[in-house]
Amino acid sequence: MKNMLWLQTGACSGDTMALLCAENPTIEQLVKAGTIEVLWHPSLSSGDADLGALIAAIEAGEQRLDLLCIEGSIITGPQGTGMFDSYRKRPKMDIVRALAAHAGHVVAMGTCAAFGGIPASGSNPTDSIGLQFDRDKQGGLLAWDWRAKSGTPVINVAGCPAHPETIVRTLAMLARDLPMELDGLNRPAVFFSSMVHQGCTRNEYHEYDVEETELGGRGCMYFNLGCKGPSTQAVCNTTLWNGRSSKTRAGVPCFGCTAPNFPAEGDLFRTEKIADVPIKMPLGVARGQYMAYKNLAKAAAPVRVRGRKMEP
Amino acid sequence: MVRRTLDIDLNRVEGDLSFEVDLEGATIVDARCIGTLYRGFEQLMIGRAPKDGLVITPRVCGICGTAHLYSAVLALEDAGGFRVPAHATLIRNLCLMAENVQSDIRQTFLFFAPDLLHPRYADHPLAADIDRAFKPLAGKVVRSALDASRKILGIVALFGGQWPHSSYMVPGGVTRPANSRDLVECEGMVDAAIEWFEDVVIGGDMHAWLALDSAAGCLNWLETPDGGASALGLMSRMARSVGLHTIGGGVNAFISGGVHHAPSDGESSGRSTFVPGGLYDGASGQLEAFDHARITEEVRYAWFRPYDGGRHPYDGETVPDYRPGDDRYTWAKAPRYDGRVVETGPFAELLVGGDAMLRDLLAEEGGSCWLRQFARLRRCAHTLHWMKHHLAQLADCHTQPHVIVPDESALQSGQGYGMVQAARGTLGHWIQLDEGKISRYQMVTPTAWNASPKDTAGRHGHWEQSVIGLTLADPDDPLELGHIVRSHDPCLVCTVHFAGSGKRVRYGI
Repeated sequence: MKNMLWLQTGACSGDTMALLCAENPTIEQLVKAGTIEVLWHPSLSSGDADLGALIAAIEAGEQRLDLLCIEGSIITGPQGTGMFDSYRKRPKMDIVRALAAHAGHVVAMGTCAAFGGIPASGSNPTDSIGLQFDRDKQGGLLAWDWRAKSGTPVINVAGCPAHPETIVRTLAMLARDLPMELDGLNRPAVFFSSMVHQGCTRNEYHEYDVEETELGGRGCMYFNLGCKGPSTQAVCNTTLWNGRSSKTRAGVPCFGCTAPNFPAEGDLFRTEKIADVPIKMPLGVARGQYMAYKNLAKAAAPVRVRGRKMEP
Repeated sequence: MVRRTLDIDLNRVEGDLSFEVDLEGATIVDARCIGTLYRGFEQLMIGRAPKDGLVITPRVCGICGTAHLYSAVLALEDAGGFRVPAHATLIRNLCLMAENVQSDIRQTFLFFAPDLLHPRYADHPLAADIDRAFKPLAGKVVRSALDASRKILGIVALFGGQWPHSSYMVPGGVTRPANSRDLVECEGMVDAAIEWFEDVVIGGDMHAWLALDSAAGCLNWLETPDGGASALGLMSRMARSVGLHTIGGGVNAFISGGVHHAPSDGESSGRSTFVPGGLYDGASGQLEAFDHARITEEVRYAWFRPYDGGRHPYDGETVPDYRPGDDRYTWAKAPRYDGRVVETGPFAELLVGGDAMLRDLLAEEGGSCWLRQFARLRRCAHTLHWMKHHLAQLADCHTQPHVIVPDESALQSGQGYGMVQAARGTLGHWIQLDEGKISRYQMVTPTAWNASPKDTAGRHGHWEQSVIGLTLADPDDPLELGHIVRSHDPCLVCTVHFAGSGKRVRYGI
């Protein structure tokens, strides 16, 4: 049994909605089985839960806190005050910093809490950052060498929103003290080692270089339509969303939402290219060899692929 | 009489909310609905590529991202003069309906119902039944509602790949067609939702229940064994027994932008909807047609750079201007329709749309916290009915194209808008383009309508009006406020500019 406090900062509730969508295990199963005790959650707590008293008790060392989940960007504006996002006239960023000092684990639920996310993009009008990262660099709310009581850095359950099953299974693993290896971005490696491209039902189109130039087709979206599936790590096509599908299967490019630089600054539906080949190669692939492979692949494409006969 | 201030923030709303009320004795004499979060979405859209709104704006709100996506794509299509095939419009509508059903279910059983378990009602004769049904995350109805809400979202996942946050509506159509395999699968999902609705929520045939057309019909249904024992029946009997049908009315003027866009057979900018929009005046019973040109937003009491009076979204701006200490109090603007304070949401949508039972209940009993909540599940039934209707229409046209690829060079400059009925009511996006980039982006969200602060003329927003005059049984534990505010289904993240948290009772001067 571990207790959990889930706090929303500069959030859209998307990760909370994803949590409610998880099918195995469900959040209500985890609660019913006693695996997780919800100390507080903005949407799930009962009417008599009192966040203010809870925060005070944790800060005073009177209440144990096992899992601190943060959903949303850490907003530091205007002028460093944090008052674009406050609770009882206290900036949320100060509350998060205080609670983190007492937590067994701190979990960033979603790309906003992990890296800053959409509010931190472009002109970043609210001066948003992540918990331990500012996009792909140091400079988050907590110092680079900050560690939770358990000795781990902030665990980044990245995604916009994070995948429902990744959220709930990370919680279950932590609650059961199962080992959790983190990758170079402090994401739980077991959910962030596979590529979005892996398991995409358009793979055979990609394999033979049958690439779409307009949205709505059956072919691959990597070369022209901005799909970042070959360079993005997430379980979207190995553990399906809502038990059923994924964006790339449905013809929507992967926008790379588990990466620290999401969303990219350029046109999100266009692939940046040199000559006819994307600048960003599939993860770890050498450009020259890839171009040679693609030329051969195109020539080898069977009619069923060239003619887009297959349903993705 | 001594005036004191109660400062309350409430959980179980989407995003959070802070509400400040002034009391004389136990009666609320003034109210301020406070948004304490600003995320800058409209600002960070400026300078981006036109279609980027299809990725960015769904992320305004985790619970109604489909509605934002739909508004965003309509705005682009309006700006570019693009055509949309019927196939695509029907898929878009189905996905939006699935999202709204999900939201209506979750809001009712996860957010509204838990207040009925409050210790004040511990000795109520229905307390044991309420506890068994609605205990957070554990009650029998709550668990089945979570399951039903997950399953209906399968429709969005089928066409969009995932829920929340996908971008499958694109200028000219959708990213994938419905094939016959999908039609059968969708039919199964909708039928399962209807079966759950009939068995659990209303305890009987859905169409027979929708055919009830009077206040008496509703109250008689509540007295039947199956109706009274159903989830909605139990909630209604409990709510009415503690007087929730007598409090929380609000402004008594209701808007809907129109529901379910009608396929326009490929013509551009189809604005017609299966259920027309309008303004319904609760006092006179008059209905007038909807016109987006009558929308303005004011910022007199919001922390934005001041301007005089109201501005239409095409002339709008969102420039934060936070200065503590003056009389401004929120990050929400104050939208007005034809200069009037109005309510939007499922209740408004059905009143405008002509639901005879709700119009009669409004005439007989007046608007209330209970009626608004009841209307939300009534809307769920209407929506499930329309989903069946759409699947039948889709069967007739799914072999036609699902997208008409547009000439996107039309998006170099110009302007356009899109409106839909989101889970919480009327949502609009207004886009302006210059040199192929977004030069202005304004959104007016349902919660902005409902949770608006005072305007230049000093008129309170709808939520504020719905609690002013209310007498609290116990000012130290303002339970009635929780009932009323949650009946509005507040989505604070959805104001684009908004949130607060927890539950506190603090006394001011």
